[in-house]
Amino acid sequence: MTELPPLTPQLVLAATALVVFGIDTLSPDDDTNTLLAGVATTGTLLSAGIAAWFLSAGTGDFSFVQFDGALVVDALSLFFAFVVGTVATLVVVASHDYLADQEHVAEFYSLTLLAATGMSLMASANSLVTVFISLELASIPSYVLVSYLKTNRGSVEAGLKYFLVGALSSAIMVYGISLIYAATGVMGLAPIAETFGNGVEFVGVLGLGIVMLVAGFAFKTASVPFHFWAPEAYEGAPAPVSAFISSASKAAGFAVLFRVFTTAFPLEVIAGSVVDWSLLFAALAVVTMTLGNFAAATQENVKRMLAYSSVGHAGYVLIGLAALQSGGGAENSFVLGASMMHLLVYGFMNTGAFLFVALAEYWGVGRTFEDYNGLAERAPVACVAMTVFMFSLAGLPVGGGFLSKYVLFAGAVQSGFAWLAAVAAINSALSLFYYSRVVKAIWIEDPSDDLALTGQPTGLYVAVLAAAVGTVALLVAFDPVAQTANHAADVLFQL
Amino acid sequence: MAGALDFTPAIPLLPFASFLVALLAGYFAPKLLPKGGAIPGIVATAGSLVLSVWTFFAVSQGDYLSETLYTWVVGQDTFSLHFGVLVDPLAAMMLVIVSLVAFLVHVFSLGYMNDEGETGLPRYYAGLGLFTFSMLAFVVADNLLMAFMFFELVGLCSYLLIGFHFREQGPPSAAKKAFLVTRFGDYFFLIGVVAVFATFGTARFVATGDGAHAFPHMAEQALAAAGGEGTMPGPVADFLDVVGMSAQNWFSVVGLLVLGGVVGKSAQFPLHTWLPDAMEGPTPVSALIHAATMVAAGVYLVARMYGFYALLPTVLAIIALVGGFTALFAATMGVVKDELKQVLAYSTISQYGYMMLGLGTGGYIAATFHLMTHAFFKALLFLGAGSVIIAMHHNEDMWDMGGLREKMPVTYYTFLSGSLALAGIVPFAGFWSKDEILYEALIYGAGESPILLVAYAMGLLAVFFTGFYTFRMVFLTFHGDARSETAKDPHGVGWNVKFPLVVLGILAATVGLVNMTPVAKFTGAHIEFLKDWLAGTEGTAFSNLGYEHYHHLLVDFAGYGAADIAPYVPAAISLALALGGAGLAWVLYNVDEPVEHTEKLGGAKTVLYNNYYQDEYQVWLAEGVTLPLARAADAFDQGVVDGVVNGISSVSLFSGSRIRRIQSGVVSHYAAMLTLGLVALLVVFGVTGGWF
Repeated sequence: MTELPPLTPQLVLAATALVVFGIDTLSPDDDTNTLLAGVATTGTLLSAGIAAWFLSAGTGDFSFVQFDGALVVDALSLFFAFVVGTVATLVVVASHDYLADQEHVAEFYSLTLLAATGMSLMASANSLVTVFISLELASIPSYVLVSYLKTNRGSVEAGLKYFLVGALSSAIMVYGISLIYAATGVMGLAPIAETFGNGVEFVGVLGLGIVMLVAGFAFKTASVPFHFWAPEAYEGAPAPVSAFISSASKAAGFAVLFRVFTTAFPLEVIAGSVVDWSLLFAALAVVTMTLGNFAAATQENVKRMLAYSSVGHAGYVLIGLAALQSGGGAENSFVLGASMMHLLVYGFMNTGAFLFVALAEYWGVGRTFEDYNGLAERAPVACVAMTVFMFSLAGLPVGGGFLSKYVLFAGAVQSGFAWLAAVAAINSALSLFYYSRVVKAIWIEDPSDDLALTGQPTGLYVAVLAAAVGTVALLVAFDPVAQTANHAADVLFQL
Repeated sequence: MAGALDFTPAIPLLPFASFLVALLAGYFAPKLLPKGGAIPGIVATAGSLVLSVWTFFAVSQGDYLSETLYTWVVGQDTFSLHFGVLVDPLAAMMLVIVSLVAFLVHVFSLGYMNDEGETGLPRYYAGLGLFTFSMLAFVVADNLLMAFMFFELVGLCSYLLIGFHFREQGPPSAAKKAFLVTRFGDYFFLIGVVAVFATFGTARFVATGDGAHAFPHMAEQALAAAGGEGTMPGPVADFLDVVGMSAQNWFSVVGLLVLGGVVGKSAQFPLHTWLPDAMEGPTPVSALIHAATMVAAGVYLVARMYGFYALLPTVLAIIALVGGFTALFAATMGVVKDELKQVLAYSTISQYGYMMLGLGTGGYIAATFHLMTHAFFKALLFLGAGSVIIAMHHNEDMWDMGGLREKMPVTYYTFLSGSLALAGIVPFAGFWSKDEILYEALIYGAGESPILLVAYAMGLLAVFFTGFYTFRMVFLTFHGDARSETAKDPHGVGWNVKFPLVVLGILAATVGLVNMTPVAKFTGAHIEFLKDWLAGTEGTAFSNLGYEHYHHLLVDFAGYGAADIAPYVPAAISLALALGGAGLAWVLYNVDEPVEHTEKLGGAKTVLYNNYYQDEYQVWLAEGVTLPLARAADAFDQGVVDGVVNGISSVSLFSGSRIRRIQSGVVSHYAAMLTLGLVALLVVFGVTGGWF
């Protein structure tokens, strides 16, 4: 009996991207939108399914080191491969309708798949080299995807800004990597940690390198002060792409962040001698969530509001690193696991929210809160789903967002970071204000007279509803997810 | 074969069924409902009565019941909340009283409501059914929380029934007042229930079965442990550490909290003000409220958990003083009232004061005895008053009556029987029970607890007023010449009015014979049946609910000791006072053309007419104190709390808009800020990390 290679989820994604290219090469002129969407969906679904299967089969209990330590497959990588695969599936299904009138459909799908491959690989990256390469593999298709609507000035401008800020961040990051290499002489994450066994040398160089590396990850996860691209890019990009970047790309950024800092720079060694990175992340978390939520509160444009809310959520997730402590055993696994749970739940609810925006763009109802007035009278089912997303994002118990936030805050309190949890809770309360504005607009306000919705975007509907079902299902079936995430964090700390 | 106790849950459920029938049929098919719901109600309460009597006999065979019926919150590592039934002699006696009075009230309602052509009858009978159900379920409750829930239901039902004539002006306001005033007391009761759960981890009255605990018994153990005997139950010790009080003090606080509900429901000073207003309700409802249900619930509750109160001398003294004061205070107000039902209302307050006095002075038997006799003679008096009101075409002013003796003999003689019982004239029921209360107060007061003598003195003085106002009422209503056209030609009443009156009239005359303590002492005969009934068994968990046990607690924990006084002299004194009051009424009012003598009271008259300004000061408390306080709190909320909240939100929105401005859209700005942010991070962590 043959065994599947541990990297199967990533391989499937890459292969699907090539198949999509192949189909387009063979029949460049035909309308192959449906076929391509079908193939892409199959690939992403397969990838997510295999990741889930591996997780449940116990593959994640060990570290499968691949390519001489360049990549690794363990519970963490499989967990995020599942997140990326799920989000990509939702996005691809929704894009089928969104792209119906576009010309370069195959490019869209294959770029999405390549970006997904990169994101999935980020979770497996086990050396600074692969970290950087996979990060770029995820980023470069993303730049293109953001400016996919070539004739739309907003889309092109957003793509350019994203690219420029991204390039700057990549430069900073790669410089940081070089400094770390200079200080330690190795690239692998585990070998870096091993060099600290004989004491830390070149403290200043190493510290500079670490902070610069943080900058690169902060860009990917849209954390302050590297978040400037996010509102612009999310607003200008096609809504499914916004969903993809804000959910999957962010999750992958966190995955690699978790792995690099827990494996290569153990808090026990680094915090005392070089830089207390849990304090660094605590500062970033507070600033990120506060700025994200405050800015979101004043937005008029729903998509931009979601963009800032996405920044705010990055702040919540950072708690998972901020609340780690030297020598903490179960508490560390618990709070890091909580961050991972939140990313999974966020993958559903945030993707769903952006896809609802995509639905609104498809109908052409406009972008501000006022434009959404009375949508529930025309499209009640989708609006129920949107309500679930909004309340779940705010942390009300209608979706998994309640439990993941709860566990996250509880984990922070348990680790002795009650103040951080308090700041997060206040922010969370503020967030209810702007999320409920959407709900108020769609349910309570009266629709304008000329509000008419045309078209039957089946794919969009299916994706939105699937995301809603996922969000609600995670409320009732939270326990297995929590077990898996905690286990993944455990594996990360122990191996 | 199924025993009587297997059917105990059916006793309350039958009236509940009649409630549902009256409600549903009254709504969906009013034509199908015989007599507007009276027949189902009568059948149901008759069924309850039969089952209650059967239960009574089963209990007299020593067959008790404590059973959990339904656990609705299962606690893990903590207490559970459940419904259950507890049938012991006290509950069995109360079941019979309540179901009998409820049955007779239903029958009487046929005459008072149906024959008078009232509308909304299904609503009325639904209310009666629910009221009876709540009270019966309250009586058999086996834990304090269940008792509280049905206590509240009783309050709700009284609200619904007092406000039955909701289109008139008075009844809705009276209903609201009854609801709010009793709710004020119940608020403390609720805190008390929570305190009991928190302290003991259980609210059961009696513990049967494995692992069950009863809170009165745990309190007893805790106090014994505080005195150096045995060990303190674990949960109690833990909680006492939390509150930081001694067991005695904390239990007194808990006892007083629960007592808050009792004072509200049993209309004790200062929460008695709702009861006279409640006369706005239909008269059969007043009978039910005063005799067997709502007002009785408070006193019954104290009796139910007497094992707890008997441990706490301070609380007992408070109960006794409140009771004695209420007895006297209400009796004096009853003296000047002009309306038949108002006199009866104040007499109710006064009589329940006696019961509280009895409970507070350790006269558990006496108080329970009075609860029973009062149930019969007060139901009788109200129904008699109802009969008079029918006859008088719903005029209640006694100055318009007179001379009804010849016109309605059945009503007169039964009413007289009730009045003699109320005034405490030998050998009618009230004499025996009231006398026993006063006797208990005297012997324990003269013994070890002199404070009880104060309560005794007030109770004794009230006897005189009771005799006076009772016979003033009788003479004004039935004697002399008719003073109005209606009184000359009263409306006749039917069998459905007379039948309940006769039953209750006989009971009021005779029920006192079940516990003739002075006679027993005198002859040495063994005729204190009620005392034997309530003495309690030995050797089972139920022995903790018996008088023997309570007496032992009173002596050991509350320090009560009886002086050796023979019962004859005190009995003679109180009888003489009652006769004196009655005699004064005879002189003043038993004339052909009675006149008002209230002018002779001078300044006291105004005070009495205004009920000692109780309502006024409570209204002042509400309007002069609570309202400004509420305004101040509102101002604080609007100004400070909302101000802070609004301030925060405007700060958030302001800073949000600042942040928007940073997000200028110019990508070189972004690059600059990004770099600056990185530099800031590097500098801060570089300096703190010591890189340079």
